[in-house]
Amino acid sequence: MMKLAGFGLGLRTPHYEALLNEPHAIDWLEIITENYLVPGGKPLDYLERIRERFPVVMHGVSLSIGSTDPIDTDYLAGVRALAARIEPHWISDHLCWTGIDGRNLHDLLPLPYTEEALALVVARVGQIQDALGRQILLENVSSYLAFHESEMSEWEFLREVAARADCAILLDINNIYVSSVNHGFDALTYLQAIPADRVRQFHLAGHSDLGGHLIDTHDHPIVEPVWNLYRAAVAQFGAVPTMIERDDNIPALGELVAELQIARGLQRAAISGQRDAAAA
Amino acid sequence: MPPQLDAGAARLRQLQRDLQNHLLGAPSPIADAIADAPPLSVADRLGIYRNAYRVRLIEALDDTYPVLHAVLGDEVFAALGGEFVAAHPSVHRSIRWYGRELAEFLRLHPPYAEQPILAELALLEWTLAEVFDAADAEPMPRSALSAVDASAWSELTFEFHPSLRRLHFHWNTAAVWQAMSREETPPDPLCAEHPVPWLLWRQDLQNYFRSMPADEAGALDLALSGDDFAGICAALAEWLPDDEIPLRAAGLLGTWADSGIIVGIG
Repeated sequence: MMKLAGFGLGLRTPHYEALLNEPHAIDWLEIITENYLVPGGKPLDYLERIRERFPVVMHGVSLSIGSTDPIDTDYLAGVRALAARIEPHWISDHLCWTGIDGRNLHDLLPLPYTEEALALVVARVGQIQDALGRQILLENVSSYLAFHESEMSEWEFLREVAARADCAILLDINNIYVSSVNHGFDALTYLQAIPADRVRQFHLAGHSDLGGHLIDTHDHPIVEPVWNLYRAAVAQFGAVPTMIERDDNIPALGELVAELQIARGLQRAAISGQRDAAAA
Repeated sequence: MPPQLDAGAARLRQLQRDLQNHLLGAPSPIADAIADAPPLSVADRLGIYRNAYRVRLIEALDDTYPVLHAVLGDEVFAALGGEFVAAHPSVHRSIRWYGRELAEFLRLHPPYAEQPILAELALLEWTLAEVFDAADAEPMPRSALSAVDASAWSELTFEFHPSLRRLHFHWNTAAVWQAMSREETPPDPLCAEHPVPWLLWRQDLQNYFRSMPADEAGALDLALSGDDFAGICAALAEWLPDDEIPLRAAGLLGTWADSGIIVGIG
């Protein structure tokens, strides 16, 4: 896997021109894979031009790694072809399922955290990594429900998937926080269970606070508790490539770059703080 | 259906089917499988997903059908979206492809069916979305056509740009679409005496559409179906005296080439 470093943003249509025509402190971009699984036209034209200027990673939303449907080989062929065309540093998707019986619910649905689900996911990650000819990253999702039959925590499940399937982890700091509030667990416990050598990327995002529970809407700036968790994540995992996802209520590019600067500052402080502590 | 599942995978599949059925609005025992823990009730937890499913798909319709949305207004569009989503679960990996059947839905379901221009507007918007991200191809310039030897013309066939689409509208659908997308007052719906042929295509990454006279539509449709130049000229006899046909046929080909819709000759 090629080295990617620094701070990125999710590539969104309203920012295409600014990215191509103005200098911005952005080290890399993450694309939503499905947005570019189209035959041609403007989306792919912009993507081709943007990837000449920025390193790119691919982030999918409908791999449905936890589904009991057969793996969608047409989809996988599309992902593989797009990857051959734009040469992403890596390909990620979510630890979830999105539908069965050929349906797509277009949501990142949680799995029961059982040995059975673990076996299924591990086997499928293996098949997908073989088909793509590369290691993939799986991301923890925000969730709003948990199943009685779960035998382990989400973090144990994620850790086991990564270890047994030999895949990497995209750790979404906001999702950990959102789920910790919605399920009443300690976000730091989650972080501490994740092995550093598996974590390749961080996601940061804003959410909506509905008073008592949180919804992962990606339509607000990042909030203080998520920044705090990010500090802890940097202290634990080091200078992992970090990006901000914004999917709704999308501001001017400069505003997101300014938010990215906060992440840069926090990472620098967390890492130099560690160095100082080590030197003392 | 997947091959034989072991007992564990079969149990997981049943759980997924139960949750999916619930999200799709079908009866399901899924609530019994959900942990009941603060800060939310089981019903609220399921409600978050059920609402998100509906909202997300209606948003996808909004992305593809902005003018239809503007014509109907927020409330009616949301109601239409809810009805459509309930009737059409997504089978697409990318939400981009959700909603193709909306024109047909409008054509068949009251009260929308009482305003036939709505179905035509939806068809126009869906087709424009197809034109937008259809496959790329290099257009053939007019000069390349001129370079073809005169003796080869009669058997010449044409290959067209993958973005090209042909439609017929009974109503002044395109005029309404154009006004609404410019945020101008649209003309009143008006039904033409005969359906009008339209051509939609993409050139230099921009979408275009225009109506066509009957002879051009006839010639283009023949060319699209693979007929050669001689066949196209023969068909033009339906509309033109013989001595005007060669000039008209050459003129049409020049126009098509200038629009970038001819990408190859054979």
